[in-house]
Amino acid sequence: MNPLPWLVALPLTGAILVFVLPGRWRAQVSLALLVPVAFASLLTLAGVLSQGTQSHVLGGWLAPLGIGLRADGFAAGMAVLTALVATPCLVHAAFSLRTKAAREGFWPLAWFLWAALNTIWLSADLFNLYVGIELLGLAAVGLVALAGSAQSLAAAMRYLLVALLGSLLYLLGVALIYAALGSLALADLAAHGAGEPTVLIAVVLMTFGLLLKTALFPLHGWLPPAHGGALTPVSALLSALVIKASLFILVRLWLTMGPGAMPVTLAWTLGLMGGGAVFWGGWMALRQTRLKILVAYSTVAQIGLLFLFFPLVTGTPIAAATLAWDGMVLMLAAHACAKAAMFLAAGNLVLAIGGERIADLNGVCRFRPFSLLCFGIAGVSLSGLPPSGGFAAKWLLVQSALASGQWIWLPVLLGGGLLSAAYVVKVLASALVEGPVSDRFKVPSLPLDLSAFVLGCISLVLGLVAHTPLAWLRAGGPFAGGG
Amino acid sequence: MIRLLGALLACLTVGAALAVAVLWRPLPVEDLPLRVTSRLAEAGAGHAVTAVLLDFRAYDTLLEVAVLLVAVVVAMALREAQPDGPDRMGLANPLLRAVMGWLLPLLLLMAAYLLWAGSSRPGGAFQAGSVLAASGVLLRLAGVGFNWLDNPLRLRAVLVLGLAVFVAVGVSTLIGGRQFLDYPHEIAADLILVIELALTLSIGLALVSLFQLAPPQHTGPHLPDRRRRTRR
Repeated sequence: MNPLPWLVALPLTGAILVFVLPGRWRAQVSLALLVPVAFASLLTLAGVLSQGTQSHVLGGWLAPLGIGLRADGFAAGMAVLTALVATPCLVHAAFSLRTKAAREGFWPLAWFLWAALNTIWLSADLFNLYVGIELLGLAAVGLVALAGSAQSLAAAMRYLLVALLGSLLYLLGVALIYAALGSLALADLAAHGAGEPTVLIAVVLMTFGLLLKTALFPLHGWLPPAHGGALTPVSALLSALVIKASLFILVRLWLTMGPGAMPVTLAWTLGLMGGGAVFWGGWMALRQTRLKILVAYSTVAQIGLLFLFFPLVTGTPIAAATLAWDGMVLMLAAHACAKAAMFLAAGNLVLAIGGERIADLNGVCRFRPFSLLCFGIAGVSLSGLPPSGGFAAKWLLVQSALASGQWIWLPVLLGGGLLSAAYVVKVLASALVEGPVSDRFKVPSLPLDLSAFVLGCISLVLGLVAHTPLAWLRAGGPFAGGG
Repeated sequence: MIRLLGALLACLTVGAALAVAVLWRPLPVEDLPLRVTSRLAEAGAGHAVTAVLLDFRAYDTLLEVAVLLVAVVVAMALREAQPDGPDRMGLANPLLRAVMGWLLPLLLLMAAYLLWAGSSRPGGAFQAGSVLAASGVLLRLAGVGFNWLDNPLRLRAVLVLGLAVFVAVGVSTLIGGRQFLDYPHEIAADLILVIELALTLSIGLALVSLFQLAPPQHTGPHLPDRRRRTRR
């Protein structure tokens, strides 16, 4: 049986089930449902690897009349990554959520979020992608608001308005493309889109809408309060997966338009914004005094690195473009695991010290070494130290920059690494200072520490075995021949 | 001032780009309206809009229903976090109560008609649901409570009904060896009607819930029970 429609149907079923069930059952049922959803994701990837690109004709109506689902290596890989990251986050949530509103509201929203993510990975239709980001955005806003404080409500409201503006820009582009081509299928955009000024303007509008949702500098203002102020498992899901969804659509759009269809100046603009994000986000992270806001600013910085992809693939030789692709997808996967691990670990530390202030971490090293270790492991990958996935990804991006002669990105890659090492060390340094002699810290339960630990280890191991997932992610895409 | 100028500049740029995009657009390579009319006979609905919404692109509609449900879930969670205030939804307006006695049957009939009409002419679940929701809001304003829905399990079951039926139809087509939401031709029209009926109830209740879950206002010029309190 084709697993593609199940990837959306199962999370939706989960959302329906946990919404109807009384609050106390929601966590258990969700944990049980993780198994079939993760299995369907793996089955999709296995299908792509053994039989090539998979597709499913929804309703039996072929595109452009109906909507198609399509899974190449990138889509299937993202589905597996979603399961890989979401599983520890949901386990963490099952043991960490305390208030009634959070315990009851989190589960249906988390499943809707998962359904929306899988919708986006698999969609082969521009309007369906719009519905996907709408569902994703609203579920994400709701999850942010669950924290319940006045600040988190304000952050959620701001996030909602930004997400709406982004969606509207995207929808405007969809309408223009429909007017120009008469079809919403990505395949028709690939076949007839290149060289049409209307389509180009539409894709530029959509690009800016998606940049807003991805929080690329200088459009990032909404992200730190939203991600930093949310409940811990929510922060992890948002930073690891949700902002990657709009980036995913952006990459899909640009690759669908074909090489050379998008203007080099726009690609360089995205790259320069990314460079700005790396330095500004890193600098702001370094200046924070509250732990989770620091981690949120680190997301702003790391997003920037992903955008170096655009100048490195636009108008460059295929060898350099393939390296850039490998570097970008590996960075995406490594950042997803490492950032989720770091948010979970930060949440555990916040739980241990009973507050957000980094200065209060003094003495954590002696009494809660495992919680601190998890934070450190995530930090290794984020700052790009070998042998982590972050290191391998940066190495590939450096190679690509050298191969295409775009030396300007080297200081971004190296300086960004230094800055991220600096803010990770800032946290570790505060935790390594001797504090109180007696143990006044609370104890995060073992599943909380383990979920952060597992994700951190995955991001480390990614660097050692990078060639295998990279080959998977290339399958069926424009870079399938390379490597 | 700089912000205003920046916003103005952005508006002008987007406006100019839109003008160029609209004025110099190419002739479409596809004619989707033509495709829709030519395949309408095979679809489960006789009206083109309903056929697109519930057959050709039913997947989009399914996800849009999920969006509406997410809004209600968020509203419920936020309401949970707020302190409970007295229920001040009702306006002390005897006229509204009296008129509702006449209006309610008419509104319900209207909703049923819109739902039924959807298969062959303009109408359908979203319109019928909105009318249903309007009658619900008017009832609330007239101070009529829905005791039947005070049970949270029942309330959630009706809210989720539309999406649940939609997903159940999709999953059963999958289990039956067909594509997701590929209705068997002989029962397609019936399935669409069942889905629309469930959607109407859920959409109507979702909209009423969003109205009802608005946090209680602590200050207001003419709240009925405050007047009562001062009189006492």
